[in-house]
Amino acid sequence: MSILLEATGLSKRYGEQKAVDAVTFTLDAYTSTALIGPNGAGKTTTLSMLAGLVTQTEGSIAFEGSSDRESRSHIGFLPQYPKFFPWLTAIEFTEMAAKISGMSAREARAESQKTLEFVGLGDALNKRTGTFSGGMKQRLGLAQAIVHKPKLLLLDEPVSALDPVGRRQIMNLLKELQQQTTILYSTHILNDAEEMTDQLLFMQHGKLIDQGSLDDFRQRYAEPKIRIEFEGTDELLRFVQTAPWQVEATGSIGWIDLSVENSSMQDVLALLSTGRYGVRKVERQSASLEEIFMKVVQ
Amino acid sequence: MKGFGVLLQKEWREQIRNFKLLWIPLVFIIFGILEPVTNHFLPEIMKSVGNMPEGVEFPWPEFAPKDILVSLMGQYQSIGLLIIVLAFIGAISSERKSGTATLLYVRPLSYSSYFLSKWTMINALVLFSVWVGFLAGWYYTSQLFGSIPATDVVAFLAAYSLWIIFAVSIVLALSAWLPTGGVAALGLFLTMIMAILDSVIGAYWTVTPWKLSTYASYILMGSMDYPTFWKTAGLTVFLIILLILFGTYMAGRNAAKTTV
Amino acid sequence: MSVLADIPWNLILPILGLQLILMLVALIDLIRNQRTNGPFIMWIFIIILLNIVGPILYFIFGRRQS
Repeated sequence: MSILLEATGLSKRYGEQKAVDAVTFTLDAYTSTALIGPNGAGKTTTLSMLAGLVTQTEGSIAFEGSSDRESRSHIGFLPQYPKFFPWLTAIEFTEMAAKISGMSAREARAESQKTLEFVGLGDALNKRTGTFSGGMKQRLGLAQAIVHKPKLLLLDEPVSALDPVGRRQIMNLLKELQQQTTILYSTHILNDAEEMTDQLLFMQHGKLIDQGSLDDFRQRYAEPKIRIEFEGTDELLRFVQTAPWQVEATGSIGWIDLSVENSSMQDVLALLSTGRYGVRKVERQSASLEEIFMKVVQ
Repeated sequence: MKGFGVLLQKEWREQIRNFKLLWIPLVFIIFGILEPVTNHFLPEIMKSVGNMPEGVEFPWPEFAPKDILVSLMGQYQSIGLLIIVLAFIGAISSERKSGTATLLYVRPLSYSSYFLSKWTMINALVLFSVWVGFLAGWYYTSQLFGSIPATDVVAFLAAYSLWIIFAVSIVLALSAWLPTGGVAALGLFLTMIMAILDSVIGAYWTVTPWKLSTYASYILMGSMDYPTFWKTAGLTVFLIILLILFGTYMAGRNAAKTTV
Repeated sequence: MSVLADIPWNLILPILGLQLILMLVALIDLIRNQRTNGPFIMWIFIIILLNIVGPILYFIFGRRQS
């Protein structure tokens, strides 16, 4: 896999305050990376530096091996709250954007039409953006970010401001784009990240505190955990009381989540398979991103 | 100059759809007509409404046609400049503040194209307004007071246009440099107030852009000392170029201040 | 009647016409835009009642982009 972008020791200081502090990571071509962290972690500043909007105080960014400003024609950027000139129509805006990014007038026209239809604004091509709702603006924001076919797509909280339906639609669009381009997106909503990611970057207080793939993290942080569903509460209680080892469990009526050391997992399964307890279902649980995140942050 | 055409088209659409291309020329035309008309009828109006003692004649000065155009220029130097400064002082800074500029700045945008597209469009709009305003005033003046040779009017307008371009350049450079807010006051100071100050206390120097409006009126009257004028014009062109370079540099440097 | 006849209407009418156009442009923009700095109704009155100045004030201070 080839490296598309390499950020080395990236820092941004505003006066005394360090918004981003020595962040280093790489983005491989055609992968999706989620930049995760609480509000104020430095996600937006990091994306702004990569987009060329903010100049870093220290460190370097290499896009396809060079730090030339012209790399911007190959980057698409969607801010968290994209703002448009209200007196331009949707297609006028994307056409302008495509032309500034170096497309010919004809190409810009054709691509604008195609892209706006792709994001679901086919009916609103000639409507002024001033009349657009929040969801429509987000779609138009996505359209202007991809209209010039960028190699790298930077998305700042692409779905945070949307309602559940809009969120699902945009996530589906992003998943389609995943195959065509490299995506780096920030989010503080972990479910979104879980859905579409090859690499995770955890940020807190301006620092990159951990990175890796979702599987990496699961292996590193997850304790083996199984969920056991019993036929009734009696069986459940009997299991908890008679199990020959101390179990740390949380649960509810009819089921418990059991954390056990890897070594004793076999024993648990052996015990359950004796048939002494009325077990309906045994399921291996993987740690959710939220649990991983909490552990990384601590 | 990459992208100049695209950006100029954007500016054109903005001025049309914000109605600036309609209301600013309209206002200048209305003032252009009002000046000769009020000056023509003021003596009669004064006579009919004023409670002057019986038999006292109000010594109303006799206006030559050219005086009317000079006094119309006086209107443009006050209310005209006020409108120009207030209407365009946010041309760049408000794009930063609202965040609409962000989606332009993340692209491979040439800041000289960005600045010059605005400079070109705003100058075109303001010069058009000033010219149609003066043409309307000239027409009414020739009807009410007497004719003025076209060559005199054109020379006068050409000189005054240089001043207008200078004023627009100041406004845009300020907009590229400073955030919205108090900067409008600075814009008014550097155009309107400085022109007044220069005419009051600037007796010792002759070559300054702020004297251009006065020199335009001398040209109209036929009393201009041309070597002085050409020096002034040369200096003004030089300063306009400096303002454009400064504005372009500042637009780029302040790009990071756009709302993300 | 002689007072009315004395007024040179051919000179005055264009001014009135232009003022009316300016006022209508401001009103159309105001109604289409719906957004103003300050109360909407106030701007209607300002545009209609203040000759020339009203529309100028609206375009410079009252008009707000979304």
